[in-house]
Amino acid sequence: MRKKYFYTHIVDTSILSLELGDMDLTPKERIHLISLMDANIHHEILDLILSELNPEDKKTFLTYLASEDHDKVWKFLNEKVENIEEKIKKTAEDLKKELHKDIKEVKGNKML
Amino acid sequence: MTQSHYKNLSDRWRARHQDLTKKLWSKHKESLDWLSNNYKQLIAGSLGGLMLLTGQAVNSQPFLHQASALEPSVKKVDKKVFLISDLVKVLPSEVRALDTDEEQKVSDILTRTFGFKVAPVLQGKRLNRNYGLIGAEQHLARYPGDVLSTHFDSEEDSKAYWQSGMAPGLGAWGYFATSGNFLSQLDKDREKYYIAVQTFLSKDFSSRFAEYRDFYKYRKMLVVNPNNGRGIIADIADAGPGESTGKHLGGSPEVMHYLERVDGSLRGPVLYFFIDDPDDKIKLGPINQ
Repeated sequence: MRKKYFYTHIVDTSILSLELGDMDLTPKERIHLISLMDANIHHEILDLILSELNPEDKKTFLTYLASEDHDKVWKFLNEKVENIEEKIKKTAEDLKKELHKDIKEVKGNKML
Repeated sequence: MTQSHYKNLSDRWRARHQDLTKKLWSKHKESLDWLSNNYKQLIAGSLGGLMLLTGQAVNSQPFLHQASALEPSVKKVDKKVFLISDLVKVLPSEVRALDTDEEQKVSDILTRTFGFKVAPVLQGKRLNRNYGLIGAEQHLARYPGDVLSTHFDSEEDSKAYWQSGMAPGLGAWGYFATSGNFLSQLDKDREKYYIAVQTFLSKDFSSRFAEYRDFYKYRKMLVVNPNNGRGIIADIADAGPGESTGKHLGGSPEVMHYLERVDGSLRGPVLYFFIDDPDDKIKLGPINQ
């Protein structure tokens, strides 16, 4: 079961999962690649958020994040960062494009 | 082709993940240090912060940890988290040779973390550096006639590592055994977990060649990826790479895989320190923290 993050409802990675589904991968390999994809998106989004917060707010955010209290995370972020939802969506979209490009390149290179 | 597609993509995404982790720690070090120091309290009853701080999401069995008991998982991750955090404070932002003070601090951190003594200098000898970029080496022939079809102990290993190929030449100390019949488990491990280091750049190497040659032969070293906290006990079985490559050491396919390091434009640094193990008690291979 994939982990649910506080942004899961606004970041749709199904297109990448489907691309991986079309590849000749074992179930274990596919699951591993999906976890890598999730980890990359997660770190990119964390970097975005932490870059928008002052040192004290960073601690508060990390505390809420570690406690997995998604409501508190969103309430806090909406108070502290303007248009945070849009910013997260854009960050995720940009990275998804890069990951998608990686998939296309690997699929396209028959000699790999 | 499945294995190649998978490996290519996982190599790319693991390297990207490590770069992101490094960027995250360098940009937000103070806050992440704070989280590390309050880690146990924060995640009591929850695993929520784990992916933030470690590379564990990128291991080959990404979901197994979630099914295991909380306490062992916390303990296991805790060590890596602190190692990454401690090393970030000491290592320079660029990959360069460490100065004496940095070497000492890193030695202390690694000794404390892994529970055995590591050092940049052993028996009065030292390498040209112990923080550098690692490149990928190929498999070495262990005895006359050892080829890819005889090289692997399992189908799984064969699938994972066949494509790295065999090096055209022998390691710096020749074959590991005189024949397949005399190949011991130690010989196998010495090839499996070997590194190539720039022995020839050691001070006085030419004038004290025989002494250095014997000292470096299968010398055990701790190799650590500072970006994910993974450590492996490796041995020196070859000399290289050349200075012109821009790389500072090389790792066997198995070493590279465990450390989650790749060659080429996505290559990254590792720490490599001598292990002070006079009774030869420490076994070669990955360290399970």
